[in-house]
Amino acid sequence: MSEAGHWFESDPLWFKRAVFYEIHTRGFFDSDDDGSGDLRGIQEKLDYLQWLGIDCIWLLPMYESPLRDGGYDVADFYRVHPDYGTVEDFKNLVDAAHRRGIRVIADFVMNHTSSDHPWFQESRASKDGPKADWYVWSDTDERWTEARIIFLDTEPSNWTWDPIRGQYYWHRFFSHQPDLNYDNPEVQEAMLQALRFWLDLGIDGFRLDAVPYLYERDGTNGENLPETHEFLKRVRAEVDARYPDTVLLAEANQWPADVVDYFGDGDECHMAFHFPVMPRMFMALRREDATPIYDILRQTPHIPDNCQWGLFLRNHDELTLEMVTDEERDYMYSEYAKDPRMKLNLGIRRRLAPLLDNGRAEIELLTAIMFSLRGSPVLYYGDEIAMGDNVYLGDRDGVRTPMQWTGDRNGGFSRADFAQLYLPPLMDPVYGYQAVNVEAQLRTPSSLLRWLRRFVELRKQHPVFGLGTYEALVTSNPRIFAHIRQYEDDVVLCVHNMARSAQAVELDLSWYEGMIPEEMFGRTAFPRIGTLPYLLTLAPRGFFWFQLREGEA
Amino acid sequence: MVEEQILRGDLGALGEEALTEFVESRRWFGSKAQDVAGVRVLDSAVLRTQVPLLAAAIAEVRFGGGTHELYQLLLGFRPAEEGWEQDVVAELEGWVAYDALNDPPLARELVHMMRGETTVQAGEGAVEFRSVDFGGFADISDPRPVGVEQSNTSVVFGDELILKAYRRIEPGINPELELLRFLTEIQFPHIAPLVGWYAYSGQLIDATLGVLQEFLPGSRDGWDLALAEIASDPNGFLARLRRLGEVTGELHSALAANPSDPDFCPEEPSAESLALLTATVDEEIEQVFLDLDPDDETLGPIAGRGEEVRERLRLISHAGAVGRVIRTHGDYHLGQVLWTGEDWVVLDFEGEPARPLAERRNKRSPLRDVAGMLRSFAYAASAAELTTGSPPPEGWEERAREEFLGGYWDVVDRTIVPPGADGRQRLLTVFELEKAVYELRYELNNRPDWVRIPVAGIVRLLESDG
Repeated sequence: MSEAGHWFESDPLWFKRAVFYEIHTRGFFDSDDDGSGDLRGIQEKLDYLQWLGIDCIWLLPMYESPLRDGGYDVADFYRVHPDYGTVEDFKNLVDAAHRRGIRVIADFVMNHTSSDHPWFQESRASKDGPKADWYVWSDTDERWTEARIIFLDTEPSNWTWDPIRGQYYWHRFFSHQPDLNYDNPEVQEAMLQALRFWLDLGIDGFRLDAVPYLYERDGTNGENLPETHEFLKRVRAEVDARYPDTVLLAEANQWPADVVDYFGDGDECHMAFHFPVMPRMFMALRREDATPIYDILRQTPHIPDNCQWGLFLRNHDELTLEMVTDEERDYMYSEYAKDPRMKLNLGIRRRLAPLLDNGRAEIELLTAIMFSLRGSPVLYYGDEIAMGDNVYLGDRDGVRTPMQWTGDRNGGFSRADFAQLYLPPLMDPVYGYQAVNVEAQLRTPSSLLRWLRRFVELRKQHPVFGLGTYEALVTSNPRIFAHIRQYEDDVVLCVHNMARSAQAVELDLSWYEGMIPEEMFGRTAFPRIGTLPYLLTLAPRGFFWFQLREGEA
Repeated sequence: MVEEQILRGDLGALGEEALTEFVESRRWFGSKAQDVAGVRVLDSAVLRTQVPLLAAAIAEVRFGGGTHELYQLLLGFRPAEEGWEQDVVAELEGWVAYDALNDPPLARELVHMMRGETTVQAGEGAVEFRSVDFGGFADISDPRPVGVEQSNTSVVFGDELILKAYRRIEPGINPELELLRFLTEIQFPHIAPLVGWYAYSGQLIDATLGVLQEFLPGSRDGWDLALAEIASDPNGFLARLRRLGEVTGELHSALAANPSDPDFCPEEPSAESLALLTATVDEEIEQVFLDLDPDDETLGPIAGRGEEVRERLRLISHAGAVGRVIRTHGDYHLGQVLWTGEDWVVLDFEGEPARPLAERRNKRSPLRDVAGMLRSFAYAASAAELTTGSPPPEGWEERAREEFLGGYWDVVDRTIVPPGADGRQRLLTVFELEKAVYELRYELNNRPDWVRIPVAGIVRLLESDG
């Protein structure tokens, strides 16, 4: 046995059954009292994560960066930001997590670097230096006008004039994030080399940030180009050959029909986020009508067997509304962003609990739906205790405030002086750390945190949720979202009531005649399924999950 | 034909059905309540190429819902005409396949390979045999089996060595190998030293398969000794328990003594660690009480008192320092210690087999071990009455606790336990409650006659003050 050892059974499809937990390193736990969370802080909290039952940590970018975009502006792919620790701290974290059966993936920004990156500094310095072609330069800002501007609120153009080089450079995001030029084979090789560096340290995979935009081509919008897919396939081949059981998770905020291309034929990314399903869950809840969920799932294409959707309710970004119609977007704004400060770009910058007016039944219902769908759920740190947000903080900082561990000073996040903290912890009477914190919820049997842990555990006992088939059960009651999941001998019926009133529903379960639905949490047997429609009544925003068992003869 | 196949490492001839039937009927097969969908060999290594043949195999047991577990099989093969009948897996074309640990030359082969530090290639990985210190063991005597446990099978060679082969295997180093190696290295006197071990290593899994330790002849299991001496010499046994407390304290101090080894260095628990412990225990209490049969009279004293137990837990688990967390024994009770005639020796460092390996490796408060032993005294007192008909002297259990704790507090490294007597007592109570609830579930499922022991334990904790 090698000394490092590997702490997992070989399982190339582990990510299909996994529950992911997204961590903003700066906001999780401060181990050295400097006011900023760090990698050693995460390591100190592994007991908690192991208790919660999550399978994989996803770290937001922890690389050297001027932090003008939360670390998505990388200035050195081989170094950890000094606020977060060192490469050695990272390795220690990965080792310690592995020993607890927890994997670690991290963001990796493919599309661009920070303008502070030495590559860019070298590239802008001279038009014929060795790195002159590492970025996308042009004498005109008239090219590729078909490409949309993503950060509408801050960027007037995808081109920015660089006075040093005397040319425009291309950037799909902020002007301080120049796009790398993937037409240059040296850039491709440099990025692969950076990926290998972290894989050699033991990392279990990457969330590949902003992958649709790697290439630019005339007459296109510069998204999802064939060349981009080709490069991602090259990354995958590299990973498959040398780093088994690694996952590549694509962030491609696109319609499912375009996103599926990122799976290739099972030879590109292992996972991709299902962006459009998320706003529709919120929409369905507000409209008390399951139709938007049924619709988007019907439009979701089949994906290769060795691939998986990533599902989330909220993450570190705004609740993005790029993948809805204008009309739907207006509806979402009017229902979920009543204060204009809550809007950002094409989205709403709020956490899960405030979006749902802190409604416990609503949080549980949406979590249940997310956990019941085909895909692997991704939890966002703090949402497990229903943390709030702070709309008065700029950009997306409002949803990146310190994790609330205890009711003590600084919410137990840091022993630094309050004024030193990277952001103030929430202190309002509803969501503040004195009301909402891990310790109090651990001690309260009925807390959301305790509920969620049981939920994670149940999911882990039933591979059907990660691996099974999905079959929609459309009923005559549009307020009900019902479906059946099946994997090997495990058949699970999930029924969710989107309405704020109690509902009855008749389900056509004739295919399962003779079987007995057993409610999965309390293990209560329900009446046997007969030939008539199966009648269920559900509490407001209530849900049932049943395992269908063979009835006694 | 079959012989060639086996020698190539191809165990396919065994067939799923025979393997399934064999595995399901073993005592060491832990998941008897689940529907087994099938058993197949994922990888195997041929360890002996002369008859009887020996192969080690990693077998996957698949369950109906799509989950699975891995087990180690040690398979012997003899020509059918030799008439081998013990623990047969299958008969195939003139050969018999069987559980090899009962076959003396095959069990001995495993020990030889450890001494020789052999590495045998399997299909995808390798089985590695390693020696720690074979100093005095030149000839390996004939083996005899010594009881089959729930998670492993043990064989004793002469009066010198004992081999324990793990059955259910999980990725990562087994805590028993890890602790024995650590304690053997520092020559901790109260263990049976580690002599060798073997493991599978490959892309499929890295896992410890077995350990070889010195055998301590003439020793008596602490549990048997307790039952005998509670009847014959209850006060004499109390003196032994004081010594056991000291040995336990020495064990914990030794396990906490190396700050430079990340796997063993004592750690400060995080701020919410007590709350985590409370949440875990509370969850277990809730689950157990949910399933209690209201008509079971034995349960009378605790019937309907689940909320009271949880309330008690909440009261005792508030505030206070928890001391530090260290690597612990993990499943500490009288059945895990031996009296050699002169002193105590601690065995079985696997931890609770029902918990996942990653959890068994976690650092915990040493008081969790202490609480396990205290609960064991309650068991011994009741069992003595059950088996011999005469109860121990009035107040025996209380005195047993005092003696053991007295010895323990005298010896244990002060920095790893809570500083105040009050804090120690409260933490002990939490762990005892955890243990009693675990026992209650176990006895309800396995030994209904014993249910009254954990019931009495829970009542006692409800009614104690502090």
